[in-house]
Amino acid sequence: MILDEDQILIKKTLRGERSAYEELMRKYEKKIFSFVIRMVRNEDVAVDLTQDFFFKIYTVMDKYNFEYKFSTWAYRICYNLVIDHIRKNQSQVDSLDDDSISPHELFASENVSREDGFKNLVREETRDYVWRVVDQIPLKFRELILLRYIQDLKYEEIAAITSLPVGTVKNRIFKAKELLKQEMEKDGMLVC
Amino acid sequence: MACLSAEKIIALDEGDLNAIEASRSRDHLLLCPACRLKADHYRYLNQALSRPMFSEPPAAMIPNVLQRLYPALPRYTSVIAAIAASLVFLITWIYIYFDFSSSSLIQALRLTADGTSGWLVNTIKAISAVYNAAQAAFKAGNALLNMLLPAPLATAVIAGSLLACFSLLAFLFIGFMRKKVHAEKS
Repeated sequence: MILDEDQILIKKTLRGERSAYEELMRKYEKKIFSFVIRMVRNEDVAVDLTQDFFFKIYTVMDKYNFEYKFSTWAYRICYNLVIDHIRKNQSQVDSLDDDSISPHELFASENVSREDGFKNLVREETRDYVWRVVDQIPLKFRELILLRYIQDLKYEEIAAITSLPVGTVKNRIFKAKELLKQEMEKDGMLVC
Repeated sequence: MACLSAEKIIALDEGDLNAIEASRSRDHLLLCPACRLKADHYRYLNQALSRPMFSEPPAAMIPNVLQRLYPALPRYTSVIAAIAASLVFLITWIYIYFDFSSSSLIQALRLTADGTSGWLVNTIKAISAVYNAAQAAFKAGNALLNMLLPAPLATAVIAGSLLACFSLLAFLFIGFMRKKVHAEKS
Protein backbone atom coordinates (compact mmCIF):
# COMPACT_ATOMS: atom_id res chain seq x y z
CA MET A 1 0.00 0.00 0.00
CA ILE A 2 1.32 3.44 -0.92
CA LEU A 3 1.13 5.78 2.03
CA ASP A 4 0.49 9.49 1.65
CA GLU A 5 2.35 12.18 3.55
CA ASP A 6 -0.01 12.13 6.54
CA GLN A 7 0.09 8.36 6.81
CA ILE A 8 3.88 8.33 6.82
CA LEU A 9 3.80 10.80 9.69
CA ILE A 10 1.33 8.58 11.53
CA LYS A 11 3.58 5.56 11.12
CA LYS A 12 6.48 7.54 12.50
CA THR A 13 4.36 8.82 15.38
CA LEU A 14 3.33 5.29 16.23
CA ARG A 15 7.01 4.38 16.34
CA GLY A 16 7.43 7.07 18.98
CA GLU A 17 8.80 9.93 16.88
CA ARG A 18 7.74 13.10 18.60
CA SER A 19 8.79 15.32 15.70
CA ALA A 20 6.46 13.46 13.32
CA TYR A 21 3.43 14.15 15.46
CA GLU A 22 4.48 17.76 15.85
CA GLU A 23 4.65 18.07 12.06
CA LEU A 24 1.21 16.52 11.72
CA MET A 25 -0.23 18.95 14.27
CA ARG A 26 1.40 21.95 12.60
CA LYS A 27 -0.14 20.89 9.31
CA TYR A 28 -3.67 20.79 10.69
CA GLU A 29 -3.69 23.23 13.60
CA LYS A 30 -4.90 26.24 11.64
CA LYS A 31 -7.74 24.46 9.89
CA ILE A 32 -8.84 22.65 13.02
CA PHE A 33 -8.63 25.72 15.22
CA SER A 34 -10.46 27.86 12.67
CA PHE A 35 -13.21 25.27 12.47
CA VAL A 36 -13.52 24.89 16.24
CA ILE A 37 -13.46 28.59 17.07
CA ARG A 38 -16.19 29.30 14.53
CA MET A 39 -18.26 26.49 15.93
CA VAL A 40 -17.96 27.40 19.61
CA ARG A 41 -17.36 31.15 19.23
CA ASN A 42 -15.13 31.32 22.27
CA GLU A 43 -11.37 31.43 21.97
CA ASP A 44 -10.51 29.79 25.31
CA VAL A 45 -12.92 26.94 24.69
CA ALA A 46 -11.61 26.59 21.14
CA VAL A 47 -8.02 26.31 22.38
CA ASP A 48 -9.02 23.67 24.94
CA LEU A 49 -11.02 21.70 22.40
CA THR A 50 -8.27 21.86 19.79
CA GLN A 51 -5.75 20.61 22.33
CA ASP A 52 -8.14 17.85 23.40
CA PHE A 53 -8.57 16.95 19.75
CA PHE A 54 -4.83 16.53 19.17
CA PHE A 55 -4.55 14.60 22.41
CA LYS A 56 -7.39 12.32 21.41
CA ILE A 57 -6.02 11.75 17.91
CA TYR A 58 -2.76 10.65 19.48
CA THR A 59 -4.40 8.24 21.89
CA VAL A 60 -6.59 6.58 19.26
CA MET A 61 -4.04 6.69 16.45
CA ASP A 62 -3.38 2.97 16.66
CA LYS A 63 -7.02 2.43 15.64
CA TYR A 64 -6.62 4.46 12.46
CA ASN A 65 -7.31 2.44 9.31
CA PHE A 66 -4.70 3.22 6.68
CA GLU A 67 -7.17 2.47 3.88
CA TYR A 68 -8.91 5.79 4.53
CA LYS A 69 -7.77 9.37 4.28
CA PHE A 70 -6.37 10.62 7.56
CA SER A 71 -7.98 14.04 7.20
CA THR A 72 -11.51 12.64 6.93
CA TRP A 73 -10.96 10.43 9.96
CA ALA A 74 -9.46 13.29 11.94
CA TYR A 75 -12.19 15.78 10.97
CA ARG A 76 -14.80 13.31 12.06
CA ILE A 77 -13.21 13.03 15.49
CA CYS A 78 -12.92 16.81 15.65
CA TYR A 79 -16.53 17.26 14.58
CA ASN A 80 -17.81 14.79 17.20
CA LEU A 81 -15.71 16.41 19.89
CA VAL A 82 -17.09 19.85 19.10
CA ILE A 83 -20.67 18.68 18.75
CA ASP A 84 -20.44 16.84 22.08
CA HIS A 85 -19.20 20.00 23.71
CA ILE A 86 -21.93 22.09 22.14
CA ARG A 87 -24.63 19.63 23.16
CA LYS A 88 -23.38 19.70 26.74
CA ASN A 89 -23.54 23.49 26.70
CA GLN A 90 -26.60 23.78 24.50
CA SER A 91 -28.15 26.65 26.41
CA GLN A 92 -25.36 28.90 25.21
CA VAL A 93 -25.84 28.26 21.53
CA ASP A 94 -28.58 28.09 18.99
CA SER A 95 -30.62 24.98 18.41
CA LEU A 96 -29.17 22.18 16.35
CA ASP A 97 -32.61 21.26 15.07
CA ASP A 98 -34.06 24.61 14.24
CA ASP A 99 -35.00 24.42 10.58
CA SER A 100 -37.50 27.24 10.47
CA ILE A 101 -35.42 30.27 11.11
CA SER A 102 -35.90 33.36 9.01
CA PRO A 103 -33.10 35.69 8.06
CA HIS A 104 -34.81 38.51 9.94
CA GLU A 105 -34.97 36.54 13.17
CA LEU A 106 -31.51 35.32 12.53
CA PHE A 107 -29.90 38.70 12.29
CA ALA A 108 -32.28 40.67 14.49
CA SER A 109 -30.17 40.46 17.61
CA GLU A 110 -26.69 39.68 16.49
CA ASN A 111 -23.76 41.94 16.18
CA VAL A 112 -22.81 41.85 12.54
CA SER A 113 -21.82 45.36 11.77
CA ARG A 114 -24.00 46.98 9.17
CA GLU A 115 -23.01 50.56 9.39
CA ASP A 116 -22.18 52.70 6.45
CA GLY A 117 -21.46 51.91 2.94
CA PHE A 118 -20.79 48.26 2.45
CA LYS A 119 -21.35 48.95 -1.20
CA ASN A 120 -17.93 50.49 -1.40
CA LEU A 121 -16.05 47.90 0.56
CA VAL A 122 -13.15 46.27 -1.12
CA ARG A 123 -12.94 42.58 -1.78
CA GLU A 124 -11.13 41.69 1.43
CA GLU A 125 -13.68 43.51 3.48
CA THR A 126 -16.44 41.69 1.67
CA ARG A 127 -14.81 38.45 2.61
CA ASP A 128 -14.49 39.56 6.24
CA TYR A 129 -18.13 40.52 6.19
CA VAL A 130 -19.28 37.21 4.69
CA TRP A 131 -17.33 35.23 7.24
CA ARG A 132 -18.67 37.33 10.09
CA VAL A 133 -22.15 36.56 8.85
CA VAL A 134 -21.23 32.87 8.62
CA ASP A 135 -20.42 33.02 12.33
CA GLN A 136 -23.98 34.07 13.03
CA ILE A 137 -25.96 31.52 11.09
CA PRO A 138 -27.47 28.54 12.95
CA LEU A 139 -25.08 25.79 13.87
CA LYS A 140 -26.63 23.18 11.60
CA PHE A 141 -25.85 25.35 8.58
CA ARG A 142 -22.65 26.83 9.91
CA GLU A 143 -20.99 23.46 10.57
CA LEU A 144 -21.51 22.43 6.96
CA ILE A 145 -20.25 25.71 5.55
CA LEU A 146 -17.17 25.37 7.74
CA LEU A 147 -16.54 21.79 6.70
CA ARG A 148 -17.01 22.72 3.07
CA TYR A 149 -14.95 25.89 2.95
CA ILE A 150 -12.59 25.86 5.95
CA GLN A 151 -11.75 22.18 5.74
CA ASP A 152 -12.18 22.17 1.97
CA LEU A 153 -14.13 18.91 1.93
CA LYS A 154 -16.36 17.40 -0.74
CA TYR A 155 -20.05 16.82 -0.12
CA GLU A 156 -19.47 13.08 0.21
CA GLU A 157 -16.74 13.60 2.81
CA ILE A 158 -18.95 15.99 4.77
CA ALA A 159 -21.72 13.42 4.68
CA ALA A 160 -19.35 10.78 6.05
CA ILE A 161 -18.19 13.06 8.84
CA THR A 162 -21.59 14.31 9.91
CA SER A 163 -23.46 11.06 9.24
CA LEU A 164 -25.97 12.98 7.12
CA PRO A 165 -27.16 11.92 3.67
CA VAL A 166 -25.35 13.69 0.83
CA GLY A 167 -28.66 15.21 -0.30
CA THR A 168 -29.21 16.77 3.12
CA VAL A 169 -25.69 18.16 3.14
CA LYS A 170 -26.21 19.76 -0.28
CA ASN A 171 -29.59 21.10 0.73
CA ARG A 172 -28.36 22.64 3.96
CA ILE A 173 -25.39 24.24 2.27
CA PHE A 174 -27.76 25.65 -0.31
CA LYS A 175 -30.00 27.03 2.46
CA ALA A 176 -26.98 28.48 4.21
CA LYS A 177 -26.01 30.26 1.02
CA GLU A 178 -29.54 31.54 0.65
CA LEU A 179 -29.32 33.04 4.13
CA LEU A 180 -25.95 34.58 3.38
CA LYS A 181 -27.11 35.94 0.04
CA GLN A 182 -30.22 37.48 1.55
CA GLU A 183 -28.18 39.17 4.21
CA MET A 184 -25.67 40.44 1.69
CA GLU A 185 -28.44 41.81 -0.52
CA LYS A 186 -30.01 43.53 2.45
CA ASP A 187 -26.73 45.24 3.20
CA GLY A 188 -26.14 46.17 -0.41
CA MET A 189 -23.16 43.87 -0.71
CA LEU A 190 -24.38 42.25 -3.88
CA VAL A 191 -24.43 45.04 -6.39
CA CYS A 192 -22.57 43.45 -9.26
CA MET B 1 -36.97 28.03 -20.85
CA ALA B 2 -38.23 29.04 -17.41
CA CYS B 3 -35.98 31.01 -15.10
CA LEU B 4 -33.33 29.02 -13.25
CA SER B 5 -33.86 28.07 -9.62
CA ALA B 6 -31.28 29.11 -7.06
CA GLU B 7 -30.36 25.46 -6.59
CA LYS B 8 -29.69 25.06 -10.27
CA ILE B 9 -27.58 28.20 -10.38
CA ILE B 10 -25.47 26.98 -7.47
CA ALA B 11 -25.17 23.52 -9.01
CA LEU B 12 -24.05 25.11 -12.29
CA ASP B 13 -21.46 27.20 -10.47
CA GLU B 14 -20.12 24.15 -8.67
CA GLY B 15 -20.08 21.99 -11.78
CA ASP B 16 -22.73 19.62 -10.45
CA LEU B 17 -25.00 19.69 -13.53
CA ASN B 18 -24.67 17.22 -16.38
CA ALA B 19 -23.41 18.50 -19.72
CA ILE B 20 -26.84 19.00 -21.31
CA GLU B 21 -28.38 20.75 -18.33
CA ALA B 22 -25.29 22.89 -17.87
CA SER B 23 -25.37 23.92 -21.52
CA ARG B 24 -29.10 24.79 -21.36
CA SER B 25 -28.61 26.75 -18.17
CA ARG B 26 -25.72 28.72 -19.64
CA ASP B 27 -27.81 29.53 -22.71
CA HIS B 28 -30.57 30.76 -20.47
CA LEU B 29 -28.17 32.94 -18.52
CA LEU B 30 -27.12 34.62 -21.75
CA LEU B 31 -30.71 35.59 -22.47
CA CYS B 32 -32.08 36.33 -19.00
CA PRO B 33 -30.62 39.34 -17.13
CA ALA B 34 -32.49 38.50 -13.92
CA CYS B 35 -31.01 35.00 -13.74
CA ARG B 36 -27.62 36.35 -14.75
CA LEU B 37 -27.71 38.79 -11.86
CA LYS B 38 -28.73 36.01 -9.47
CA ALA B 39 -25.87 33.83 -10.78
CA ASP B 40 -23.44 36.71 -10.35
CA HIS B 41 -24.57 37.12 -6.75
CA TYR B 42 -23.98 33.47 -5.96
CA ARG B 43 -20.63 33.54 -7.69
CA TYR B 44 -19.68 36.56 -5.65
CA LEU B 45 -20.71 34.78 -2.47
CA ASN B 46 -18.85 31.61 -3.46
CA GLN B 47 -15.73 33.61 -4.13
CA ALA B 48 -15.87 35.08 -0.64
CA LEU B 49 -16.50 31.67 0.91
CA SER B 50 -13.74 30.04 -1.10
CA ARG B 51 -11.19 32.28 0.53
CA PRO B 52 -11.85 31.38 4.14
CA MET B 53 -10.51 33.41 7.01
CA PHE B 54 -8.34 31.21 9.17
CA SER B 55 -7.89 31.99 12.81
CA GLU B 56 -4.37 31.89 14.13
CA PRO B 57 -4.07 29.49 17.06
CA PRO B 58 -2.00 30.56 20.06
CA ALA B 59 1.69 29.78 19.67
CA ALA B 60 1.75 27.80 22.93
CA MET B 61 -0.94 25.39 21.83
CA ILE B 62 1.23 22.73 20.18
CA PRO B 63 3.99 22.87 22.81
CA ASN B 64 1.28 22.33 25.44
CA VAL B 65 -0.05 19.28 23.64
CA LEU B 66 3.45 17.90 23.20
CA GLN B 67 4.15 18.43 26.87
CA ARG B 68 1.06 16.44 27.76
CA LEU B 69 1.92 13.67 25.33
CA TYR B 70 5.65 13.48 25.84
CA PRO B 71 6.31 14.48 29.42
CA ALA B 72 9.98 15.01 30.17
CA LEU B 73 11.45 12.33 32.36
CA PRO B 74 11.64 13.53 35.96
CA ARG B 75 14.98 15.10 36.69
CA TYR B 76 15.86 12.57 39.39
CA THR B 77 15.60 9.73 36.85
CA SER B 78 18.42 11.27 34.85
CA VAL B 79 20.46 11.87 38.01
CA ILE B 80 20.00 8.27 39.15
CA ALA B 81 20.96 7.04 35.68
CA ALA B 82 24.10 9.16 35.72
CA ILE B 83 25.07 7.90 39.19
CA ALA B 84 24.43 4.29 38.16
CA ALA B 85 26.53 4.75 35.02
CA SER B 86 29.35 6.25 37.07
CA LEU B 87 29.26 3.39 39.57
CA VAL B 88 29.31 0.74 36.87
CA PHE B 89 32.13 2.59 35.21
CA LEU B 90 34.11 2.86 38.44
CA ILE B 91 33.79 -0.81 39.30
CA THR B 92 34.63 -1.90 35.77
CA TRP B 93 37.54 0.43 35.56
CA ILE B 94 39.04 -0.66 38.90
CA TYR B 95 38.41 -4.29 38.05
CA ILE B 96 40.08 -4.14 34.66
CA TYR B 97 42.81 -1.70 35.50
CA PHE B 98 44.07 -3.60 38.53
CA ASP B 99 43.67 -6.99 36.84
CA PHE B 100 41.43 -8.78 39.25
CA SER B 101 41.30 -11.89 37.11
CA SER B 102 42.50 -13.89 40.02
CA SER B 103 39.95 -12.40 42.40
CA SER B 104 37.87 -14.63 44.58
CA LEU B 105 34.74 -13.99 42.52
CA ILE B 106 36.33 -15.15 39.26
CA GLN B 107 37.97 -18.06 41.00
CA ALA B 108 34.67 -19.07 42.53
CA LEU B 109 32.95 -18.88 39.20
CA ARG B 110 35.62 -21.00 37.54
CA LEU B 111 35.47 -23.57 40.28
CA THR B 112 31.71 -23.70 39.99
CA ALA B 113 32.03 -24.18 36.25
CA ASP B 114 34.47 -27.01 36.70
CA GLY B 115 32.10 -28.89 38.89
CA THR B 116 28.90 -28.21 36.97
CA SER B 117 27.49 -28.90 33.56
CA GLY B 118 24.84 -27.52 31.27
CA TRP B 119 23.68 -23.90 30.92
CA LEU B 120 25.52 -22.64 34.01
CA VAL B 121 28.90 -23.73 32.61
CA ASN B 122 28.10 -22.08 29.30
CA THR B 123 26.97 -18.90 31.00
CA ILE B 124 30.10 -18.71 33.12
CA LYS B 125 32.24 -19.42 30.07
CA ALA B 126 30.48 -16.67 28.14
CA ILE B 127 30.97 -14.18 30.97
CA SER B 128 34.58 -15.20 31.22
CA ALA B 129 35.09 -14.83 27.47
CA VAL B 130 33.53 -11.37 27.44
CA TYR B 131 35.62 -10.41 30.42
CA ASN B 132 38.84 -11.72 28.83
CA ALA B 133 38.07 -9.95 25.57
CA ALA B 134 37.32 -6.68 27.36
CA GLN B 135 40.46 -6.98 29.38
CA ALA B 136 42.59 -7.75 26.31
CA ALA B 137 41.09 -4.81 24.43
CA PHE B 138 41.64 -2.56 27.41
CA LYS B 139 45.27 -3.65 27.78
CA ALA B 140 45.95 -3.19 24.08
CA GLY B 141 44.38 0.26 24.14
CA ASN B 142 46.23 1.14 27.28
CA ALA B 143 49.55 0.02 25.80
CA LEU B 144 48.92 2.01 22.64
CA LEU B 145 47.97 5.13 24.56
CA ASN B 146 50.99 4.75 26.84
CA MET B 147 53.18 4.73 23.75
CA LEU B 148 51.57 7.88 22.45
CA LEU B 149 50.82 9.83 25.62
CA PRO B 150 52.41 10.29 29.03
CA ALA B 151 51.07 7.74 31.54
CA PRO B 152 48.69 9.93 33.62
CA LEU B 153 47.11 11.37 30.51
CA ALA B 154 46.60 7.93 28.98
CA THR B 155 44.81 6.82 32.10
CA ALA B 156 42.62 9.89 32.04
CA VAL B 157 41.73 9.34 28.38
CA ILE B 158 40.77 5.72 29.02
CA ALA B 159 38.78 6.64 32.09
CA GLY B 160 36.96 9.38 30.18
CA SER B 161 36.19 7.09 27.25
CA LEU B 162 34.78 4.39 29.49
CA LEU B 163 32.66 6.89 31.38
CA ALA B 164 31.32 8.26 28.09
CA CYS B 165 30.50 4.75 26.90
CA PHE B 166 28.58 3.89 30.03
CA SER B 167 26.74 7.21 30.04
CA LEU B 168 25.77 6.63 26.44
CA LEU B 169 24.48 3.16 27.26
CA ALA B 170 22.51 4.54 30.21
CA PHE B 171 20.87 7.24 28.11
CA LEU B 172 20.09 4.84 25.29
CA PHE B 173 18.39 2.65 27.86
CA ILE B 174 16.37 5.63 29.15
CA GLY B 175 15.35 6.53 25.58
CA PHE B 176 14.24 2.97 24.95
CA MET B 177 12.19 2.91 28.16
CA ARG B 178 10.58 6.24 27.27
CA LYS B 179 9.51 4.98 23.85
CA LYS B 180 8.14 1.82 25.42
CA VAL B 181 6.07 3.84 27.89
CA HIS B 182 4.63 6.02 25.10
CA ALA B 183 3.85 3.00 22.95
CA GLU B 184 1.94 1.45 25.86
CA LYS B 185 0.10 4.72 26.46
CA SER B 186 -1.03 5.03 22.86
